[in-house]
Amino acid sequence: MYRYIWLVPLLPLAGAAINGLFGRKFRFSEKLIGGVAVGSVALSFLISLAAVYSYGFGGHAIWPSPYITTQGSFTWIPGGAVNITQGSAERSAMAALQESDKRLAEMAPEERDKLKTILSTGTDVPRSSVLNVEWSYQLDPLSSIFMLVVTGVGLCIFVFATGYMHGETGYYRFFAYMGMFMFSMLVLVMGSNFLMMFVGWEGVGLCSYLLIGYYFSRQEAADASRKAFITNRIGDFGFALAIFGVIATFGTAQYTDVFAQAKDYPVEGLWHWGVLSWIALGLFVGACGKSAQLPLHVWLPDAMAGPTPVSALIHAATMVTAGLYMVTRTNVIFQHSKTMMTIVALVGAATALFAATIGITQNDIKKVLAYSTVSQLGFMFMACGVGAFAIGIFHVMTHAFFKALMFLGAGSVIHGMHHEQDMRRMGGLKKYMPYTYMTFLAGWLAICGIIPFSGFWSKDEILWKAASTTEVPVGWIVWLVGTIAATCTAFYMTRLVAMTFWGKEKFRDTHVHTPGHEAHSDHETPGHHAHVPHESPRSMVAPLVVLAVLATIGGFVGVGPAFKFITGSDHPGGRLNIVTFLDPLIWNSQTGEFNQPHSLATVGHEGQTVPATTADTHAPVEAHTGEAAAATTHAAEGFNLAHAAEKALGSHTAAEWLFIVISLVVAAIGIGLGFLFYVWRPNLPEIWAARLKPLYVASYNKYWVDEFYGWAITRRVMDAARAVYTFDAKAIDGLVNGSAWLTRLSSRITGLVDQYFVDGLVNAIAAFIIRLMSPLLRAAQTGFTSNYALVMVLGLVAAVALFFTGDILNFFKAIFAFGL
Amino acid sequence: MLMFLTPILALFFQEATGGRLSAMTEGAKHPDLSKFLVVGALLFIIGVAGVLTRRNIIVIFMSIELILNAANLNFIAFSRYLQDTGNVNAVAGQVFSVFVIVVAAAEAAIGLGIVIALYRNKETIWIDEIDILKW
Amino acid sequence: MILSGWEAVFFWVFSIAAIFAGLLTVMARNAVHSALFLISSLMSVAALFILMGAEFIAGVQILVYVGGVMVLFLFVIMLVNVGAEEMGRAEIHNKPRQVGASLFFCLMLVIGLLFAISSGYQGLQKRDEAKLAGVAGQRARQEDSLKSGATGTSRITNETERVGNSLYRYASLPFEIASVLLLVAIIGSVMLARTLKQEAAADDVPPEALREEGMPDPSLAEIPPAA
Repeated sequence: MYRYIWLVPLLPLAGAAINGLFGRKFRFSEKLIGGVAVGSVALSFLISLAAVYSYGFGGHAIWPSPYITTQGSFTWIPGGAVNITQGSAERSAMAALQESDKRLAEMAPEERDKLKTILSTGTDVPRSSVLNVEWSYQLDPLSSIFMLVVTGVGLCIFVFATGYMHGETGYYRFFAYMGMFMFSMLVLVMGSNFLMMFVGWEGVGLCSYLLIGYYFSRQEAADASRKAFITNRIGDFGFALAIFGVIATFGTAQYTDVFAQAKDYPVEGLWHWGVLSWIALGLFVGACGKSAQLPLHVWLPDAMAGPTPVSALIHAATMVTAGLYMVTRTNVIFQHSKTMMTIVALVGAATALFAATIGITQNDIKKVLAYSTVSQLGFMFMACGVGAFAIGIFHVMTHAFFKALMFLGAGSVIHGMHHEQDMRRMGGLKKYMPYTYMTFLAGWLAICGIIPFSGFWSKDEILWKAASTTEVPVGWIVWLVGTIAATCTAFYMTRLVAMTFWGKEKFRDTHVHTPGHEAHSDHETPGHHAHVPHESPRSMVAPLVVLAVLATIGGFVGVGPAFKFITGSDHPGGRLNIVTFLDPLIWNSQTGEFNQPHSLATVGHEGQTVPATTADTHAPVEAHTGEAAAATTHAAEGFNLAHAAEKALGSHTAAEWLFIVISLVVAAIGIGLGFLFYVWRPNLPEIWAARLKPLYVASYNKYWVDEFYGWAITRRVMDAARAVYTFDAKAIDGLVNGSAWLTRLSSRITGLVDQYFVDGLVNAIAAFIIRLMSPLLRAAQTGFTSNYALVMVLGLVAAVALFFTGDILNFFKAIFAFGL
Repeated sequence: MLMFLTPILALFFQEATGGRLSAMTEGAKHPDLSKFLVVGALLFIIGVAGVLTRRNIIVIFMSIELILNAANLNFIAFSRYLQDTGNVNAVAGQVFSVFVIVVAAAEAAIGLGIVIALYRNKETIWIDEIDILKW
Repeated sequence: MILSGWEAVFFWVFSIAAIFAGLLTVMARNAVHSALFLISSLMSVAALFILMGAEFIAGVQILVYVGGVMVLFLFVIMLVNVGAEEMGRAEIHNKPRQVGASLFFCLMLVIGLLFAISSGYQGLQKRDEAKLAGVAGQRARQEDSLKSGATGTSRITNETERVGNSLYRYASLPFEIASVLLLVAIIGSVMLARTLKQEAAADDVPPEALREEGMPDPSLAEIPPAA
């Protein structure tokens, strides 16, 4: 079944094409458009479900080997189209390499194992000097998770959107763009090489632009879409450079080939910068742009100008997680660069705290959720930065569930409040919108990290990994910042729920159009002051319920080793456990190889035999023995919080539980503060805002980042443009005009010379000759035909005489001789 | 005129045979190619003289026909000669004279058409009165 | 080819006749006389052709040249006929200077041509000595091998067949071109000899030229005159 994954991206594309090309022309009804769109995504989801099942869990499962499609794929850039050898030195080096590869192949396996040259590529990786790129899809643990998330959550959002976008004029356009987005995102996650990922990357950027600017007649939506695209583009620049680096270094863009080569490179330690660090840097810049990390986060809050389903799909669940996908996919490269891992972790932590503090003060419900998304993305990057890539992906998954749920819930609230987005005008909605309220609660509890909701499992694991990591020395900083950010998260989410669903009903006050007022087409209803909110239709509530269920139970695929006393194993569920499932994709810096799957005790890659291990190989082995640094080749520098806790408590499990308890406690503190400020003592927010005025103003104004960019970059660029324009208008055009004047002058002079001098000469000479010759020549024109005939005969006589010149001369000589 | 030219012609006839009387009579008893060529040459000269001398346009045209006829005679004489000497392309001379006759006919038709048009405009057939191209 | 016997006699008769008639052509006062003399010259030449064995060409000469071209000449002479009295007084030769110069150059030409013929023929004889040697007997044998005519006095030669063979096979392209030439000549002569009235009727005259001649514009013919 997994052979049909090539259909998965194609179906939404087909749906988008049908809707986009024919939706307006043939005036499809809303039902038809919605049906085509939802149907294509549903079909996609079913195929991916079947594919992933048959890949990982079925009878002939081929997990963990990746499956690369041959059906539905084609040669995109044929070998030879791009020649990347640069000179003779490289060519001879390449020849030497091929020679050594050949000798390597001829050796017996035992001998080969003894060799560990840095540039050895093994026998099954072609090292060619020409780039060959295929358009084929790869099904492996990472892409299968993303496939399911994208199509599954996407399906819920599509169903929601059919209800939410009801009555819009551009209904067909919306679903066409959404279908295109699904296609691009699926190409991104399913592609088998970097270039396909880049195609998908750009595609989702484009669709994000189109969808944010869906209400293109509004200035702020148009501005926001441009901002999103341009900021994205800055990231794409870095990403593109990284891809060039990958191709130049490894000679191929195919994941399997690149990573097989990359794993043998030496690890570049902290503050040592090598080629892999450059590549990782470029990749991370791209990830910052796409996943809205500092300093390229500015586009995400503004992107809330788009319709809410767009915010849910693109800016919560899928597009912004593309950065995460990319970082996890290339975890080999990242893990080879300690410096970059540190940077990733620190940037992630900074972003998490930064965005969380801004979210505390925002009043637009969608803006709060947007900053929450940025903050949670920071968490995910924190996880990747400390080496817990699988946990990062786990958080991606759970975040997709509860964030999409909350965005759709917010959409339902906005819909019910007749497009009112300001939370200060909501309140007490739980009475009017019960389903929305209850599902939103599930999301709220999940994001706060309350056991047993999904958010707890992933967030807690991230913080534990941050505290206990040996990959980077800054683990404790990351843990601290993450914990504070988690507190803020709990606080502002409680604030949101309280302001929206609990408390006094404020919507009966005068209906004023706030700047956060979302545009809608049906605003001409008379007497729309004092709307009474209503529950949303079934098409909008059903996805909420589905997502609420997922947000509640979705975390059980990632129960960690702390709960071993209940579950009996470090990662319960066998292959269903996300960490186990993703493990073979993660490179292990201790062994220098990719992790072996736990359930297999057979030959791994490269013909090496590895005994089955029950211990998770990515936790530091020495933690059990209490030794430090001796057994590892990359000793952790700096302070390791988990070790300290362990030393203090004496047992590893106790240390883990300490951190679990700490995170639950901070979540409770946050929730408690939220209750305090917004339910029990509603006057407190104003008091504290006045007391902490500088902090409040800074947070409310988003730390003036946009203004700073405007001053530092935008206005400077415009000044430069104006200067260049002035130079062009005055200097260059002046030059051109001057040359034109010069040309006219010289032509005038030439004209005069020609008129007086040259013509005079011609007239004099020609006239003289003509006056001389013409009477003579005229005399020959008698008009008398016989004269002309006579001349002809003359010519004839001459011709005949010419023949006999010799004889004529002899004749005359004879006559003379005779005469004499 | 008549009396004037005939002895001259006879003289030249004699010249053509090399000037020996016996040879001349022998040559006369057995005329061969050279005699034919001489006949042709004389007809040619008479035609040329007619073209240059006469005033009447029609007569000039007729003199031109004489010239063409002389050329034809030449062709046929040579054709016969070559036949006798065994040349396979001998019949080409006769073929060519067919074309000469065709061209002469076409040229006569056109020329006389021009003469008629000219006569309508100028009302004259004397060639020295048609000197429009005079400077 | 060397003629002998009666053929030689006929040769002399006809050649003298041709030259004489030609001379009279250019010397006759009356154009019609000129034409008739030319006809007789052409007929003599046709007889010479027959003597040389080119019967087809002789026939073509008589049919086309005499029967066509000379008849055409006579037609045109009639068309542009000048009155007899006028004819009688008119000068038939050009100005003396022209005539003198012409005769001088013609004399030069005669000398040159005859000299050329004689020397050329000597050279030719030297070259083809061997071939000419067996000519006479060969010719007689050839003639004996031919079929004889109905009356038994003459032989039927295949000269015409040979000419036709050559004309239609090797010279077929010039043949076709010659027919096109004749077509052009027909059209050309018709066009050249049209009167202004005929051209106006065929609408081939620009209106300005018509107005010059004082003829009414034929395209205005349909409009009834103002009555």
